[in-house]
Amino acid sequence: MIKQFIRLEWKQFFRASYFQKGIAIKILLVLAALYFGGAALMLGVGLFFIAKKAFPDIDPIVTVNNFIIYWFLFEMVFRFFMQQLPVMNVKPLMTIPIKRNTVIHYLLGKTSISFFNFLAIFLFLPFCVVLLVKGYAIVNVLCWFLSIVFLTLSVNYLNFLINKNNTIFYIIAISLFALIGLEYYGIFAISQPIGIAFNTLYNQPYLMILPLLLVVGLYYANFVYIRKGFYLDDAVSKKIKEVNATDLSWMDRFGNVAPFLKNDVKLIWRNARPKQVMMMSFMFLFYGLIFYTQDAYKDMPAFLAFASMFVTGGFLMSFGQLVPSWDSEYYKLLMSQNIPYRQYLESKWYLMVFAVSISFVLSIPYLYFGWKIFGMIAAGAIFNVGLNSFITLFGGALNRVPIELNVKAKAFSNTNGFNPTQMLIAMPKILLPIILFYIPYKLISFEAGLIAIALSGVLGIVFKNQIFKFIEKTYQKGKYKTIAAFAEKS
Amino acid sequence: MITTSNLSKKYNEATVLHIENLDIPKGQSFGLVGNNGAGKTTYFSLLLDLIQPTTGHIKNNDVLVHESEDWKPFTSSFIDESFLIGYLTAEEYFYFIGELRGQNKADVDALVSQFSDFFHGEILNQKKYLRDLSKGNQKKAGIVAALIGNPEVIILDEPFANLDPTTQIRLKSIIKDLAEKQGVTVLISSHDLLHVTDVCERIVVLEKGEIVKDLATSTETLKELEAHFAGSELV
Repeated sequence: MIKQFIRLEWKQFFRASYFQKGIAIKILLVLAALYFGGAALMLGVGLFFIAKKAFPDIDPIVTVNNFIIYWFLFEMVFRFFMQQLPVMNVKPLMTIPIKRNTVIHYLLGKTSISFFNFLAIFLFLPFCVVLLVKGYAIVNVLCWFLSIVFLTLSVNYLNFLINKNNTIFYIIAISLFALIGLEYYGIFAISQPIGIAFNTLYNQPYLMILPLLLVVGLYYANFVYIRKGFYLDDAVSKKIKEVNATDLSWMDRFGNVAPFLKNDVKLIWRNARPKQVMMMSFMFLFYGLIFYTQDAYKDMPAFLAFASMFVTGGFLMSFGQLVPSWDSEYYKLLMSQNIPYRQYLESKWYLMVFAVSISFVLSIPYLYFGWKIFGMIAAGAIFNVGLNSFITLFGGALNRVPIELNVKAKAFSNTNGFNPTQMLIAMPKILLPIILFYIPYKLISFEAGLIAIALSGVLGIVFKNQIFKFIEKTYQKGKYKTIAAFAEKS
Repeated sequence: MITTSNLSKKYNEATVLHIENLDIPKGQSFGLVGNNGAGKTTYFSLLLDLIQPTTGHIKNNDVLVHESEDWKPFTSSFIDESFLIGYLTAEEYFYFIGELRGQNKADVDALVSQFSDFFHGEILNQKKYLRDLSKGNQKKAGIVAALIGNPEVIILDEPFANLDPTTQIRLKSIIKDLAEKQGVTVLISSHDLLHVTDVCERIVVLEKGEIVKDLATSTETLKELEAHFAGSELV
């Protein structure tokens, strides 16, 4: 049976329509995996000597044990954001004679060969080899290593539960924050007893049974959880939420583009993916803090110009780069309805301008860093409205990846809506403000640089009509291809 | 109203549609039947400029469909679920389409209220997004949305599929009414020979992308169609 499942997955992977398009991303991912794996391997070999050097008086294994909790913490956070949950198309399996348990065991078993589990092995296996070479007791080292593997698997299954169940997520998150807080303010150092625990684990090999029990327990918890949900009602058919319709008729004053604007607001508000993008773009507001607070960047205003553009441009770039894709689910409707392309594009433009304006108002606290910084943000905002928005819309014309609106993106897993073309299009967005600023800044003055950035934006607004005509033509040209690509559900 | 000349669509050498000549006059209720892969949806997609013709062209009210967008104001359609906006409620969707077609809320309300028996109380005031409705109910919403804004041409792909018997019967009377009383050109495709012969004045049979029969509906039409499809099945 398991063999059949593996065959199915293999086919799913290679026959997916996005496979070939996504090959560049796959290569990138493999490279990233190799990089992290290699780094972990190197670190694993060096760990013994690093620990020895840092604390010459303490046995390296004790040092490692004292700090190992931070590794697991890191792993947990890393996994929470990066690891894709095991998904299997269960619906067709429900009616054929396979035991429910087999499917669940397979699903859970599959997660144990995830890259994230190997990361720990890459790190600790060489470390253990070094320990053995240095003459540590075989039984202790071996059992300790196995314990680490079991704990890694525990994190694996715990992450699964956290992701599926909000209550568990909040319990874990709150207790983690509490413990880290207590430790940070020196009230209670949880890492000490944990360090002692790991050392005991090393010294008493038979205690290996405890992590083993933990994995088994968590595995079982997952098993029960999935089994309970293994019915069409819960897992496959979606929960229906009652709609809270808000009156958006005040937006009618925007004239022709009003129907689209209203729709876009609903699009963002009612779908998981765009909502996520909006939250993310809110984070961009704080992007400036990274740059403005560091002295290193004080002498590199060109970099600050780039950062300032990001402060107000978060939504514009993260939402805008996927412009036709947001409407991919009903693109045929838009193309056969009484809609000129121009209006459709213009409404997206207004939305971006609106977002930039809001971000700009919210960025007023940056005045704290002085007028120069704020001037940069203002210039960046004008650039965003007048030029960046058009570049982004133009880039959208080349983007033909459908998006599932109500499915949240997980980093790395849901790569739909991301492709190398996007990266190419992103280059001018990033480089342009730097160049626009740097040349007049070097030749004339800081203020000249600001004016150059702002002026480019003003020019864009002045030539709005011509630019729109050009973008419209590009969209029109790609129309059939876009429709065909969007019709292919990934 | 709709003239098709020398139209063909090829995908890598495989011809999926080839129509030398087809004229559909204004106010005709036109039915397209054929087995799977006969080219029905391909023809409708060409008619809506969703795919590009390999040769030839379609003129909709003297507008070249693949060159101008001027056919859009008087043409409406419902092909499949990708014509619905999943995150809107049925009402919001109707208003949205209404706005695109220059109808205000009151106009849309007036039109939609005529279909309350068609909706069977399962579409309006449900506080549900379209994506959460059943397939049949989604279809009902899509079909009614295609009637908004007094279109002169209405294109419905498989309108009877997925509908319950009561609704099928109601839909038939709606379509008949549109063509007979309001002079709307209605194009539908269907696998259900009985329904098509009931509704359409003219029925064209497609087979492997070519027109093999073009019939004015009469009492014998159903028999003729049944014989045709039974025969082609045996071969």
